[in-house]
Amino acid sequence: MKSAKNSPLKDGARVAIIGGGPAGSFFSIFASKLAKDLGRRLDITIYERKTFVNQGAAGCNMCAGVVSESLVQLLALEGINLPPSVVQSGIESYHFHTQNGNVRIKSSRLQQRGIATIYRGGGPKGSIEKGIQSFDDFLLHKAVECGAKVEHIIVDEIRMERDKPVLYSRGKMLHDCDLLVGASGVKASTGEMYEKLGTGYKAPSIIKAMQSEIEMGNNWISSQFAHSIHIFLLHIPRIKFVSIIPKGDFITISILGKEPDAGCTKVFLSHPEMRKMLPPGFKIPEKFCHCFPKINVGAARKPFAHRLVFVGDASSARLYKDGIGSSYITSKAAAHTALLYGIGEEDFKEHYLPACETLNRDNLFGQFLFHVNDLISTISPLSRGYFKIIQQEQKNLQKDAHYSDILWDMFTGSRFYKNIFIRALNPLPIIRLLLAGSASSLRKVFFSHQ
Amino acid sequence: MPEEGLLGRIYKDDEIIVKEGMQSRTMYVVQSGKVKIVKSDGDKEIILAVLNEGDIFGEMSLFDASPRSASVKAIGEARVLAIEHEGLLKRITMDPTLAFRIIKQMSQRIRNLNSKLSTAMRTITQVNNKLLLLNSENVTFRDRETKSSHVIDNIAQIQKELHKCNELFIQNESL
Repeated sequence: MKSAKNSPLKDGARVAIIGGGPAGSFFSIFASKLAKDLGRRLDITIYERKTFVNQGAAGCNMCAGVVSESLVQLLALEGINLPPSVVQSGIESYHFHTQNGNVRIKSSRLQQRGIATIYRGGGPKGSIEKGIQSFDDFLLHKAVECGAKVEHIIVDEIRMERDKPVLYSRGKMLHDCDLLVGASGVKASTGEMYEKLGTGYKAPSIIKAMQSEIEMGNNWISSQFAHSIHIFLLHIPRIKFVSIIPKGDFITISILGKEPDAGCTKVFLSHPEMRKMLPPGFKIPEKFCHCFPKINVGAARKPFAHRLVFVGDASSARLYKDGIGSSYITSKAAAHTALLYGIGEEDFKEHYLPACETLNRDNLFGQFLFHVNDLISTISPLSRGYFKIIQQEQKNLQKDAHYSDILWDMFTGSRFYKNIFIRALNPLPIIRLLLAGSASSLRKVFFSHQ
Repeated sequence: MPEEGLLGRIYKDDEIIVKEGMQSRTMYVVQSGKVKIVKSDGDKEIILAVLNEGDIFGEMSLFDASPRSASVKAIGEARVLAIEHEGLLKRITMDPTLAFRIIKQMSQRIRNLNSKLSTAMRTITQVNNKLLLLNSENVTFRDRETKSSHVIDNIAQIQKELHKCNELFIQNESL
């Protein structure tokens, strides 16, 4: 029999979740559901400063706002169907803009609008669009429906007292709990608060991205960006790549690069490839809603301790992709560990850590794949050959879609990077790519001598 | 409702989503509207079930890879999200609890079937007893006029019970 120190959450156990974003809500939903199946009831309180209904950064958890194809499907299976008030656009394709031209990629597997673009808060500052429901608000309501309470209080100190975590806000004790769940993302101040506990936790390493919301009107966006996320791989200085995500009256411009700033957005909007997609007479606004979200690019060290577990971005996340999907994976694994196995350090090590390690290991494959993709894009003949193959594949997806599916899965986050890596090793398509690259080189030499 | 925010695929009234006999392992979740599960019986179409928002269908083919046992059609406009089988099976191996909801739905259907089966068995036994009774009654040429109304009544009752039994089976049945 297990000692009280590491027994699973019992009937009436008190759980405190710090952070009401997707990770916190997912933990609450899955813990409540499993507890119900097991005939137990949990007393769950989610501490979240924001309400997710305000416009601009104040009400938003700052993220590109894409729910991956696989997560949309998993949520539907869990009985969480995203309503049209939450989904700003249903995405069916990715449109790549490269120096070799443009290509639109569709999945060879399912012909449907399977990816959701969402707002994490109440929408961009100045938005007059009605009926926007924040994704975070939607999930938080689901958690409340499952029995959780939400307190809009800032927890700024945690102490371990009499073997239990105790929560404080501005020097005032709130209460103790049987389990504390850290779901507050990669915010530096909360990271430090957890590190001070001395459990060995170290917050994940991060990079900064830049996000801008530009208003263009629903009609223009529907005609130019219709149900497609646009990826720009154009070798613009300081910019690794840009994604344009259509959302109702606005587009979200998400820039990944070297310390991107508001200037990068203006440089990008002035690029000839982007200018083609702007409304006639469009002027870059002086002020626009923008933020600098932090992206988890390295896992947290020891995301668990006795009666303490970290989920979502505060723990492990998939590289560049599907942050909300990572929250789903880690939160569910942590909730199941706490209810089925125990809340001791050893329990989390044995049953929760493997889920984090799966993501961490997978990111190594992801890093390699993104490096190869960068390499291909810098070698012109290969890049042209790659582009041509994808164009051909898109004409008849049922015949062959090897490289299209690889690109689709890499950028949509639909498959684990390891799975994509194994497929990428198939020698026949590699030979095909090399031949296409050589043919492209020869063509260039031949035509340059004409 | 803005059209932009709609996930999945929209099917028009009576449009086929899944075709009986087809080989496919995709599973579906109804996002909005209603769909009906139908089985063809010659020229006729028997409605086995009507599914609503949030309901799952096509899960049997996901697991047993057999051809579709029935067709699924939209009732009015319906929006349906397809679940890709390969990705789902991989996820289930990592997180078996994902299959819980599917198993719960399947077990509910088995319970419904069991209950209907026992009612059907009861009806068949009753019908059989009545037929035996009819057979044992020696209907001769002489007294056929007096007995015939009794026989007709019995047959009518048998027909009624068989009809009730049939009705029971075509209500709320699923794939």
